[in-house]
Amino acid sequence: MLFKLAWRNIWRNKRRSLVVLGSVIIGIIAVLFMNGFMNGMLNQMLSNQISTNISHIQIHKKGFNDNKVIQNHIPDADAVEKKLSDNPDIKAFSKRVITFGLISSATNSSGVYINGIIPDKEKEVSIIFRQIVEGHYFTGDKREIVIGGKLADKLEVGLGDKVVIMSNTPDGTIGSEVFRVAGIYKSFSSEFDKSFIYIPLETAQSMLNINNRIFEFAVVANDYKKIELVKSSIKSGLNDNYEVMSYKDLLPFLVYQIDLSKESMWIFNLIIELALIFGIINSMLMAVFERINEIGVLMSIGMKNIKIFFMILLEGLVIGIIGTVVGLISGFLIMLPLESSGINFAIYTESLESYGIGAVIYPTLSMDDVLGVLIMIPLISIIGAVYPAYKAIKLEPVNAIRYV
Amino acid sequence: MEILRTENLDKIYQDNGVPVHALKAINLTINMGDHIVIAGPSGSGKTTLLNLLGALDKPTMGKIYINNEDISEKTKKELSDFRLHKLGFIFQAYNLIPVLTALENIEFSMMLLGFTEKERHKKALDLMEELGIRELADKRPNEMSGGQQQRVAVARAIVNDPTIVLADEPTANLDSDTGSHLLDLMERMNREKNITFIFSSHDKQVIDRAGRLIILKDGRIV
Repeated sequence: MLFKLAWRNIWRNKRRSLVVLGSVIIGIIAVLFMNGFMNGMLNQMLSNQISTNISHIQIHKKGFNDNKVIQNHIPDADAVEKKLSDNPDIKAFSKRVITFGLISSATNSSGVYINGIIPDKEKEVSIIFRQIVEGHYFTGDKREIVIGGKLADKLEVGLGDKVVIMSNTPDGTIGSEVFRVAGIYKSFSSEFDKSFIYIPLETAQSMLNINNRIFEFAVVANDYKKIELVKSSIKSGLNDNYEVMSYKDLLPFLVYQIDLSKESMWIFNLIIELALIFGIINSMLMAVFERINEIGVLMSIGMKNIKIFFMILLEGLVIGIIGTVVGLISGFLIMLPLESSGINFAIYTESLESYGIGAVIYPTLSMDDVLGVLIMIPLISIIGAVYPAYKAIKLEPVNAIRYV
Repeated sequence: MEILRTENLDKIYQDNGVPVHALKAINLTINMGDHIVIAGPSGSGKTTLLNLLGALDKPTMGKIYINNEDISEKTKKELSDFRLHKLGFIFQAYNLIPVLTALENIEFSMMLLGFTEKERHKKALDLMEELGIRELADKRPNEMSGGQQQRVAVARAIVNDPTIVLADEPTANLDSDTGSHLLDLMERMNREKNITFIFSSHDKQVIDRAGRLIILKDGRIV
């Protein structure tokens, strides 16, 4: 009967209850949208980096990541390759030659990261082949080069144009080679497009005069959630001459930024929740003050303070639960289409691409966000009702029953 | 059999810092089944006395014994429990819970006593039948007349078989015919169930029907 009483009390002033419910629902939608938007943006930043270049795990000679010199090649690439092939948790891997160099056209030149890749294997660890917007991926010609659109603009080259790449060889001389632009890609990051070029692995090895040496294995695990486990298993099979790094080790700043953003979202959520608490306090206080006489009667007929307190908390809780259910449903109805279609921020393309996000952001709701709403909103609804409930039980029945 | 006794009951209010001596040395004894009317002009202390006897307020000095139990020293929680088990209230403005039906209003105090839904439903409906208000069971207070609401309030007051029912100006908001019918009903309950009724009123027809009249003037029994 207490629940019945609480329920009917909520609806005795429909307009006020609907206003409070509306604020709770809008608050939930705002929380879901902002969290989903931030999740989507941060996940895109990370997944774009992973899928375009970083992959899940990289293996190098120890020290290579801090000092990418040509002397730091993988000591025994065949042995590593065998271990990776034998590992059932690994979906794919690819070998890379990586070094710095200079690319020049007839009109301009630019410093670049030279990526010597095995085109077919690279397809299994990177999506760069899917990002080609002009021309094509490698067809088997040793002089083919794939460059980013931004770099092509800077060098003022197009498909079929000649470019020259120069880089240091291990003996201190300069190795160089002429290439023809086969494909121009456009990734999610304009900075990446300016500086990463792709050439066939064998051509890179001959240009750098390093025989069949390589500098990196890029590895993709079967299960994204088990990357750290796979990393440990690879590491345990290799000696101390190697460094095995997950994307978290390779992108510490980005991972830190994501953690920081998630923390800052808590602050945003807290602000909304505080606003909701005050809305509920205000509404429940009005509800209590409107019913002083009634509360006095309840006290007179022997209803204990604890039950009156609980009845008012129950009213807050019911508002919170209705708001949570309707807010979550409304939030899902808004978010689900956006999760698949994305939100196009065409006018901010330049700045978003400079962060490696891409112009279309796909909001993503996580279970944590939904659980957060499911727990927090009913909880704050109860918290919001505590003060009004306290005020109610502080009434003296003798005064309350005569209150007009 | 004595069920209520007061000893030198005093009540002093503070009205904007000014002490107001509302009751002075009230000594009275009430027996089971009494039909008492406390009468007197406005400001004589009727409501104050009723509040003290109803355990809604505490005396400044003196003692109140109900069933030989001193209620003047009880805590708020104990008083609440005492009111639930021993007392019934009828108010001038009926004061039914507006969001509950007549039946639910009557059942409410039984719910507080821990009766099961089935038990309280049966007892409340039987009582409504007895009081001739069975047809009001599903009506909310705003769908009932003042007289009907006050009959439901009577049912609410007596449903838990209280020792004493306190009625504060129960006919003040009713026309004389309706008031008369209500008093008939309460007299019947007094007679048939031996419930002790204590009224506060300055309504002539209430005073005329009193089994025993206590007149207050300036906070004293005269």
